[in-house]
Amino acid sequence: MLRLPLGLGLIALLAAAPAEAEIARIKQSSGTASIERSSQRLKASPGLQLLAGDKLVTGKDGRISLSFIDNTRFAVGPNSRISVSQFQYDRTRQKGTFVTQVDRGSLAVVSGKIAKSGPDAMKVRTPNTLLGVRGTKFIVDVPK
Amino acid sequence: MIRAGLAATAVLLLGGCATSSLVLLPDDEGRQGSVAVLEVAGQPTGAVIASGNSRTALGDRTPVAKPLGGKGLKKQEAALLTGLPPPARSFLLYFEQGTVTLTPQSVAVLNALKAEIAVRSGPEVEVIGHTDTIGSGEDNDGLSMRRAGEVMNWLASQGLDRSIMSAVGRGERELKEPTADNVASAANRRAEVIVR
Repeated sequence: MLRLPLGLGLIALLAAAPAEAEIARIKQSSGTASIERSSQRLKASPGLQLLAGDKLVTGKDGRISLSFIDNTRFAVGPNSRISVSQFQYDRTRQKGTFVTQVDRGSLAVVSGKIAKSGPDAMKVRTPNTLLGVRGTKFIVDVPK
Repeated sequence: MIRAGLAATAVLLLGGCATSSLVLLPDDEGRQGSVAVLEVAGQPTGAVIASGNSRTALGDRTPVAKPLGGKGLKKQEAALLTGLPPPARSFLLYFEQGTVTLTPQSVAVLNALKAEIAVRSGPEVEVIGHTDTIGSGEDNDGLSMRRAGEVMNWLASQGLDRSIMSAVGRGERELKEPTADNVASAANRRAEVIVR
């Protein structure tokens, strides 16, 4: 009898959890802006949920802004191709790993809880450099 | 000779237009973090860029951070910062002893919560329920989840789509006010709502 309320609570919790592991949401976008997910190309509309491995792609007039579940915030500039190649976050322990690859374009970042959770838990890769983020705000620019 | 000259020019041109850069800034609270350069061209390095309001060309094993100085940010850099989403905002709601009933003061907070969600583009809401230490740990896991669920139900009743919300219960594991077991605490009977 005592177990019943807990059981119901767990069912409610499972029902409330998103079907796939959401890592971020698109907040705003303008111009040519899309998300590439394996062979799919999705329009980067506000509210779209991102998954680990997604690529953020913009054209010459395109912009995308997004917030991650660890409170990291991104703004992607025009002519960009940026992959969230790795994202794991344990909400309870507030720890994780986060690797972003900037192939080209520009990215502004305000780091969140993952960057605080351990030395170089958050990394950004450009074509020639691997950066370890230690809790800050920064812009990476990779010209064509 | 001509070939060597052309090759050298090509290298210079490539170097000139393909230099990546890092602009390091203080965070919104004015604290200055740093960025480590862990690898350049696949080779490990130990450099750390720590001076705020600086620009650094990437690709050098010993990077030199230059102050932004009077010129400040480039136009496109400033535009990028303007485009950042607003920071996450957190609300605390308190409950009556052993129930999922909000305290009268917290009922008033609900409208501020609803208003915050309404002004955000592509919002996401995370609800984390908690209890005090009265009762068993197992019962409190259930109660904390029902509290989080109650907040989600109210938001849904106000027309918010459930797909933007998620809830967890942490029972009596994360006390706001540390107490012994079986101690009533109004501060601990709460739900935290994070709006992104």
